[in-house]
Amino acid sequence: MILTTLVFLPLIFAVAVMFIPRASLVRPIALGLAIIEFLVSLFMLSQFDSKTTGLQFVEQYPWIHRIDISYFLGIDGISLWLVMLTTFLTPIVILGSWNSIQDRVKGFHACLFVLQTAMLGTFLAMDAIFFYMFWELSLVPMYFMIGIWGGQRRIYATVKFFIFTMAGSILMLLGIIYMILLTKEQLVFQAGGADYRAMSASLLDFYKLQIPFVSGDFFSPQSLLFWAFALAFAIKVPMFPVHTWLPDAHVEAPTPGSVILAGVMLKMGTYGFLRWVIPLFPEATTAYTDIFMVLGVIGIIYGALVAMVQPDLKKLVAYSSVSHMGYIVIGLFSMNEQGVTGGLYQMLNHGISTGALFLLVGMLYERTHSREIKRYGGFAAVIPILSISFFLITVSSIAVPMTNGFVGEFLILLGAFKYNAWIGGFAVIGVILGAVYMLWMFKRIFFGPKGELANDVKHPLHDLSKREMTVLAPLIILVFWMGLFPGHFLSYSKASVENLVNNRANYELQTGAK
Amino acid sequence: MNVAIGLKDLFSVSPLIALFLASLIPITVKVLNGNREQNPAGTLWQGVGGMLASAILLMTVYLLVRDQDSQTAFAGALLIDGKTVAVGVLALVIGSVSLFLMYDNPSTNGEQFSELVFLTLNSVLGMLILAAASDLIVLFIGLEMMSLSLYLMIAMSHEQKLSKEAALKYFILGGVASAILLYGISFVFGSIQSTSISVMIERTPELLASSRLFLFGISLMILGFCFKVSIFPFHTWVPDVYQGAPTPHSAFMATAVKAVSFIAFLRIMESKVLGGSPALLDVLQWMAVLTMIVGNVGAIMQNNFKRMLAYSSVAHSGYVLVGLITVGLEPTTGSIVVGLGGSSSVIFYLVAYSIMTVGAFAIVTLFERNENSVIMIDDLAGYARKKPLMALSLTICLLSLAGIPPTLGFFGKFYLFTSAMQEGLIFLSLWGMLNSVIAVYYYLRPIVVMYMREGEPVEAGKGMSATRSTVFLCAVLILVLGALSGQLFMLIESALTSGPAVAAAATEAVTN
Repeated sequence: MILTTLVFLPLIFAVAVMFIPRASLVRPIALGLAIIEFLVSLFMLSQFDSKTTGLQFVEQYPWIHRIDISYFLGIDGISLWLVMLTTFLTPIVILGSWNSIQDRVKGFHACLFVLQTAMLGTFLAMDAIFFYMFWELSLVPMYFMIGIWGGQRRIYATVKFFIFTMAGSILMLLGIIYMILLTKEQLVFQAGGADYRAMSASLLDFYKLQIPFVSGDFFSPQSLLFWAFALAFAIKVPMFPVHTWLPDAHVEAPTPGSVILAGVMLKMGTYGFLRWVIPLFPEATTAYTDIFMVLGVIGIIYGALVAMVQPDLKKLVAYSSVSHMGYIVIGLFSMNEQGVTGGLYQMLNHGISTGALFLLVGMLYERTHSREIKRYGGFAAVIPILSISFFLITVSSIAVPMTNGFVGEFLILLGAFKYNAWIGGFAVIGVILGAVYMLWMFKRIFFGPKGELANDVKHPLHDLSKREMTVLAPLIILVFWMGLFPGHFLSYSKASVENLVNNRANYELQTGAK
Repeated sequence: MNVAIGLKDLFSVSPLIALFLASLIPITVKVLNGNREQNPAGTLWQGVGGMLASAILLMTVYLLVRDQDSQTAFAGALLIDGKTVAVGVLALVIGSVSLFLMYDNPSTNGEQFSELVFLTLNSVLGMLILAAASDLIVLFIGLEMMSLSLYLMIAMSHEQKLSKEAALKYFILGGVASAILLYGISFVFGSIQSTSISVMIERTPELLASSRLFLFGISLMILGFCFKVSIFPFHTWVPDVYQGAPTPHSAFMATAVKAVSFIAFLRIMESKVLGGSPALLDVLQWMAVLTMIVGNVGAIMQNNFKRMLAYSSVAHSGYVLVGLITVGLEPTTGSIVVGLGGSSSVIFYLVAYSIMTVGAFAIVTLFERNENSVIMIDDLAGYARKKPLMALSLTICLLSLAGIPPTLGFFGKFYLFTSAMQEGLIFLSLWGMLNSVIAVYYYLRPIVVMYMREGEPVEAGKGMSATRSTVFLCAVLILVLGALSGQLFMLIESALTSGPAVAAAATEAVTN
């Protein structure tokens, strides 16, 4: 029951929030509810068995009998930390948006909770159609968040976001249907001592399929399915060259929207690669890995270069996301233990550091109402605590040792070098470029002579409030905790990752002990 | 042939008789009271009561004849099977809902409300005949009865110029289509010397190989139906007629009329005519492809809300046609339990489509001040602030039309395209999927306007509680039936395959 509680509790919260009579109570109650959800996930974590490779806390009930679509939730070492990330970031986001969201507060928090359900469902659903439902459902609340509470060009950005991602995932639906029909042909089920054939949408059954693959033939079923799924996930990640929706969506989204988008929603794409594409289509993955490695490296360098020249602070962080997500992709596709572990770790790092960056940008914006970097300058002397916090997150983002980013990027680069020295070499260039654009940005905002905004007498700057410190403190603590003691986190995913990497060719996911 | 009318025959048509008698009550009362509209609410309930009685009778008849050898009446002219009941009940429910909408709407609840109820009930009567038709002539009579009542309903409103134009257009084009259909029937009759549909289905494989006249006839019949269900290139009347007609009538046409016409179409396709005629298969596939894209691209360009819904309804006809092609290709026996039946998917889709479309049209009627109102999408600006519940319900209806999970519309598409893929229609499924992405663009527009633009939306009336409840109910049904879609699908499926057949197929599946 714990996973059902985890997934559907926020949905109940979303309805509950709509019935809060007084607007002033909405935020505290929503915060409380989000913390309850986080506690539930902590309880789940305490019960998690890090030794088994299979799915835990499995709940499987028949849902649509005709095609054996089941209500199927399960968790393993791969999805565990993504679930924790989601439940962890939501209360932070609610606290972070305390002042910035003033219009239709109830609706906003309801959207946030629906989004939480959709994201958790995506990470936990182990049935193709059930997964697809959550995957698509996540678009709707985010669409409203950007469209209602966003900036100037919000409608353009949100419609682009919706159609881009929907266009990507519709082919995946076709692929899922194809595989459901394939289960009827290939698999034999047993019931009451008799064999029978049926359609199934369960991921565990999908893993048993032998999907025909002809090397060099793009039109063999496995290749087509690979691309149908990969396109959906690549758009969500987003990988170069289908990343164009991301800067628009990030810039127009309100701060909490950006945090959730960068922090969790992009990970739905990389998670999809890890859970669906790589184990389901092993031959096709091997055949097309080079393409993904190259696109990943292009994404790293391109994202970094574009970020470097951005005059807009938020856009800079958005493009840095494109660059960082490139690392995760090459980590996952290097398909060795270091790379995949690094990719998984970097998903969390990116969620925390980029999430924090967006929060900080939002805090700066609330003070100055400007995102133009050239109007900043000299902030370090005026608001020191914010500057220090910003610096700590910056070093995490550029992967300085002792921070979480270092562990992730180091493992990824190790994996990439193992795969191919050239890929590793080019990826390292990205590390340098990352330091360049982040530090340069930091310099232009916080150091140097006081800029236009720092000298604005009408709107004097004030340093971090207690609430803002409370928002940032857990993130900063995690940056160093994850940087200094990666074992605390990685030990939970080790078994699952090993199982995935070593048995990729005939991967079987069992339902484990619990 | 000597046809003796037995008690059983009369019993089988009792839903039709009940409906017809009920339809007479309102106008009789009106005439007896000096031709003045007495009590619109009473008239409404008379009509709804008639539909309800008819629905109950229909289900009773079905349950009693279901396990008998013969489910037919009048020497095989009428067939009371699962399809008849499924679609008949759907038509009766939508008919009742339309009556509520007409009662609420200022442009239709005027002096001639009793006549409107009479015509609506008779139109539904035509639908029931059409759904039960097992004979080509009866099928034609049902179709005409349904259509003639509709022509009158649209033309009846006395102010609006557009509705006159719409009625005339619908009447002339509909007449031509009926003529084509009848012409096709004459060729089929010439080939098989019978008007019975079951004889036609039986002899199709053999005749397709030998008789060109038969193929010609059945193709003409299909074209006639393509007009009724607005398949490209016979869709051009749809936007004009839906826009011109009073909105409750548009809702009625877009859902009940279309669903029932599709069922009659389905009965023709069940003759597996496509398996024997690759040329016809090609033509229908292209028509499906073009219907989807024309409907969706047409809808993108509309600013008028009703016109947009009209084009969207054309696009949905394209999706359903994919289902019909599937039915035409399916093997006659065999994998019923393991696979998804095309017919069940089509009916599921029609149910889903009807619910969400009624919801969307009902919102339009809330805005219709008088007969000449033109409702643009931009008129909804700021609606979410003023009427959050209505806005949310419309949003759910639109997302369902766009096929976003977990709504009913998503499952409709899912079942439809799964059964299509099963018959190897990969390209058509792919095309349908891509089209639903295009469709997202225009379904999002009203949502954008309602939630993300500021404005002062002006609703026509204060009350209209029946219309509001309809919208809300549609939204709830979309979500609830979405969650229970598996059960709904099995219900439809068990209705389609009568008792003994299901058991046989089930044992077959287990032993396989």
